[in-house]
Amino acid sequence: MISDTWLTRVRRKNRAWLRRHSYSFFSSLGVLIKHKLGTLMTTLVLGIAMFFPLGLYMTLINLEGINLRQDEWNAITVFFKSGTTQDEVKQVADELDQRLNPETIVVISPDAGMADFRDASGFGESLDILDENPLPWVMQVSPKRGPTEQVEARIGELTEFLQSIDSIEVTQFDYKWLQRLGRMMELGQAIVTILVLLFGLAVVVVVANTIRLDVASHAEEIEILALVGASNAFVRQPFLYTGLWYGLMGGFLAMLLLGLTMLYLGGPLGLLLETYGTLYSLRGLGISSTLLVLLCGGLLGWLGAWISVQRYLRRLKVGGRLGR
Amino acid sequence: MIKFDRVSKLYPGGSRALADVSFHIERGSMVFLTGHSGAGKSTLLRLVMMLERASRGQVIVNQQNLSNSPDRLAPLVRRSTGMIFQDHKLLKDKTVADNVALPLMIAGLRYSDIRKRVRAALDKVGLLDKEKAWPSTLSGGEQQRVGIARAIVSMPPLLLADEPTGNLDPNLSRELFALFEQISYQGTTVLIASHDLDLVRQMRKRVLVLSNGRLADDIPASDG
Repeated sequence: MISDTWLTRVRRKNRAWLRRHSYSFFSSLGVLIKHKLGTLMTTLVLGIAMFFPLGLYMTLINLEGINLRQDEWNAITVFFKSGTTQDEVKQVADELDQRLNPETIVVISPDAGMADFRDASGFGESLDILDENPLPWVMQVSPKRGPTEQVEARIGELTEFLQSIDSIEVTQFDYKWLQRLGRMMELGQAIVTILVLLFGLAVVVVVANTIRLDVASHAEEIEILALVGASNAFVRQPFLYTGLWYGLMGGFLAMLLLGLTMLYLGGPLGLLLETYGTLYSLRGLGISSTLLVLLCGGLLGWLGAWISVQRYLRRLKVGGRLGR
Repeated sequence: MIKFDRVSKLYPGGSRALADVSFHIERGSMVFLTGHSGAGKSTLLRLVMMLERASRGQVIVNQQNLSNSPDRLAPLVRRSTGMIFQDHKLLKDKTVADNVALPLMIAGLRYSDIRKRVRAALDKVGLLDKEKAWPSTLSGGEQQRVGIARAIVSMPPLLLADEPTGNLDPNLSRELFALFEQISYQGTTVLIASHDLDLVRQMRKRVLVLSNGRLADDIPASDG
């Protein structure tokens, strides 16, 4: 026999590896097609399991996307004591600007306030009976934008400064509401994380169980393969491919369910948001996220299959029950 | 080809299957292994196939010491050993050709090569016309020959058979032994465990006799 060079040996090994894989690839597909009902049911369970965390995740990213007019929400409203003069107000505003440099300072005079109120309230001329304007000087201060923690710190500084000034009666701001919303979103994200972990585990367990039955029904074949010299890897491969298929199909189904849900909810949700004066269309998963979900599904399926087959392969070790 | 050096095998629980067995089988020879049931024939074959490890002593097959080879080499050892089983161990849901092709699939051969070699192996055992048949439609003798085709298809240097004639009538058994003899003449070492003493004697080959796990007799070949 002609002695092989190192390179031809490596090439031949790679080709053999490829052929073994193509054999596993097709035999695993064959098994899935042969047991259509079982495959369908497993895929359905996996699809639903993956749909839950995915659906919640989509809800969250859509909530975050809605324009909450954050600038208005986190403005501090300052009411001066009655009798404060315009000069005094201006002095406070200048000092505030110099010392803490907020994003905006809007000063509303009692007259301007009254005009606004007249327009907005619809009381109109009936307000004329008032002898004098009861409204105080008002100032709206917005902190510089930035990450939540920084904004919170700036609001703290601004409030502290404003409260130290005698001519100011009340400072008021609605930031707490926004803060709570932010916390709720964080909680939602934590719940998504837990769900992803739990349902990911569910995917692994479902696939592991399906493959376990699959392996058991192929016990004879596995034994014979091992007896005629199949390595553990060769025995494992078709099952790993089956697990991979299950994961991919489950992921695909989850996407499909998600798409249908969004189509179904999109209409009513749009109408609801319109009443808040927000024009908004639902955000879907991007291509990279879609691929990521499929990849994760495939990997989880593969992992489930691996766990199941590995448990079985322990029987095939030297000194085991093989061939008895 | 096969060398046992003071081999003992104790199974967990204390039962002793082989005790201090030593022998050497030359490359290309055909040897029978006999003894009553429970004498240790199957254990001996299992040691050669690396399905078990010796408790003591050295098992050397094809110049490889199996006693200190790691588990992961077991598949390679089995690939270089053709094994024939009493119950055939054929896959019912695969055709005769696919059954015979298994060792070549495992080796990762090209499909066209696999086809050629499967046909050659089936031709050798006289079952070329049953290529596409299902094992369950074949007679016991035919199924056993499919098993032999599978064992020789990858042209291993060593062929083992565990009671290959167990369920066959004497005429079929004789044909089968003749087939093994033919294979051994082509350079393959053949080791057959059988309790069919009359037939074994007729073959006039070397016979190892096991009794209670010990090598009781080693009768040399008398066919010249």
